[in-house]
Amino acid sequence: MSEIESVGAHRRNFLKSLALGSAAVGAASAGLFTDVATGTIGVPAARAAGNIKMAFIQWQPHTVSSAWSKGIEEVLKTQQTVDYRLLDGQNKVEVQVSLMDTLINEGAAVIFLQPIDSVALAPSIAKAKRAGIAVLTLNIDATEPHAAHVEMNHYFGAMDIAKALGDKLGGKGEVAILNAPPGIIIRDQRTNGFVDGLKKHHPGIKIVADQSADWSRKKAQDVATTLLAANPNLGGFYGVNDSMALGAVDVAKTKGLIGKLVIFGNDGEKDALESIEKGELTGTQYTDVYQQGRFAAAAATVLASGLVPATAFKQQGKLLMPYTIATKETVASIQPAQRW
Amino acid sequence: MTARSATLALLAFFVATLAFFWFAAPRFATAGNIENLMSGFSFVAILAIGQAFPILLRGIDLSIGAIVALAGMVAFDLVLILHWPGWLVIPAAILAATLAGALNGVLIVRLRLQPFIATLATLAAYRGLVYSISGRQLVPGLSTTPIRDPWITGLESYLDIAGTLGLSDLITLPWVPLSFFVMLAVLAGFQFMLGSTRFGRDLYTVGGNVEAARLAGIAVGRVTIVAYALSGFCAGVAALLLVARLTTATEALGTGMEMSAIAAAVIGGVSLSGGIGSLYGPVIGAFLLGTILIGLTLLGISQFVQQILTGGILLAAVAYDRVLFLRRQRRLTANLGEEA
Repeated sequence: MSEIESVGAHRRNFLKSLALGSAAVGAASAGLFTDVATGTIGVPAARAAGNIKMAFIQWQPHTVSSAWSKGIEEVLKTQQTVDYRLLDGQNKVEVQVSLMDTLINEGAAVIFLQPIDSVALAPSIAKAKRAGIAVLTLNIDATEPHAAHVEMNHYFGAMDIAKALGDKLGGKGEVAILNAPPGIIIRDQRTNGFVDGLKKHHPGIKIVADQSADWSRKKAQDVATTLLAANPNLGGFYGVNDSMALGAVDVAKTKGLIGKLVIFGNDGEKDALESIEKGELTGTQYTDVYQQGRFAAAAATVLASGLVPATAFKQQGKLLMPYTIATKETVASIQPAQRW
Repeated sequence: MTARSATLALLAFFVATLAFFWFAAPRFATAGNIENLMSGFSFVAILAIGQAFPILLRGIDLSIGAIVALAGMVAFDLVLILHWPGWLVIPAAILAATLAGALNGVLIVRLRLQPFIATLATLAAYRGLVYSISGRQLVPGLSTTPIRDPWITGLESYLDIAGTLGLSDLITLPWVPLSFFVMLAVLAGFQFMLGSTRFGRDLYTVGGNVEAARLAGIAVGRVTIVAYALSGFCAGVAALLLVARLTTATEALGTGMEMSAIAAAVIGGVSLSGGIGSLYGPVIGAFLLGTILIGLTLLGISQFVQQILTGGILLAAVAYDRVLFLRRQRRLTANLGEEA
């Protein structure tokens, strides 16, 4: 079958049964690529023709998402049967939606997605599901149920941060939260976990301020300075991500408050771990994000090689990542290869 | 080269690009892909049509991305907080966008601001306004509530032309998204206005030579305000199509869209030196950009390269526009010389 004819086959089959379509395409291309065989026993005919496709649509280039991608790639490469690529959502929902459409049209087997918005990507996820494509979300869940969601343990991790922070403060005092702007689920999870954790473990500690510093170190420096001026008895900061906590560390350094202020972050990026080793940042919740990528890829591989369609799920799968509360005492246990 | 032959040249280039990807990119030539192109870029085409009006006046509208967000958020609030019916929300959101555009015009005319400065200022102001009226932040829980109003979600529907005509056994045509028809309606209406009404003639005259227009008794100020209002109107229509596609509005919606719209308009032959161009060009320009983005993604080419290439095409278009401008000037001087 020539290329044009096979293209014609694609067109004719598109709006009919997708299953029928992919079978026809599979058969067509099976004739084209004679069995260079994968060596696996029982590989379905449609699969023997070529590699299956998987892609990860990230929010925008960032240390976390590139570490996920590295972990995903490590696992998928080993399978020898998967073509994987990383696509950039450019921090725009409409770009992510357009990329989802493209991947659905391409017949991807699995899409890894870090949705910019939980609702905005829901129609695309539903569309992928109708096409039998398994969607796995990373960190930010979507309102449309999908194959699986693999997340850093936002809520329970933040509870443990509250406990560790309270222990360092001796169970009493005032703290402030350097928060993310509202409108995103992980902000609420990381804040609520912290608030509930304090209630549970250290009811004597009071949250005197909760202000947005836009995820940014620079902005957090300004906010922390203002908060310190307004609350002279402030004993500690909780930064909803490490960048903001490090912003508070910068302020503590210039004011000579290192060792006096208890400052916790969240994420566990390399800079934060180094700061803990230097005795500046008190602690953070560390997640091995390479591992998070590997876990997601492992789940995806099992689904794809087991030919489990997206529609087979009774409800959305969920996987919470293990984590460590990294402090001066525990940080050495995090190996160099696990740092991101 | 006349405006019409420039549009034809652009059309030829567009067809050549389509043909290239048709054969080179896997799964480009599928009904599904053409659907994706139409649904993913019709709103960009509408924004480009709107952008053509200020550019025809030798101006620019940088605020359309923020106006998209504003209209989107107005629709979001009216549906989810005030529970207005969709048939009322649609005109209200478009009205808000049109007023925002008109305000741009008023600032430019009454305060004699450079369009670049005026719309840069409103870009920031409108975006701030979006954050302050954001129902996602005012009412907890709304950030994960999709818009289900049938009038709005109905904008994201598809027409099975082949099926309607009873041709589906013979040929697979893409299902045409409603947004594409909306774009065609906007194009037809405004192109008629530009080509066949007093306002259209005045607009070209003002864009070609403000002083001459003023001496000819044209109300330059009113033409300018209307042109920017039309740009806002188009942003409002595009916003509704986006909200329908995403089932929500976000505060960051439309960020950077002014760049795509300006690029599409300029590639479409609307001269940055004013007074020259039609609305067909911007539409073709928008779909040309879309074709290139989707085609390159299907070819597996990195998105960073795609952005560089888009920039390159824009540069080429601007350079070409400049060459035409200089040639016109030379001809004009030569003619004047002959007369003298």
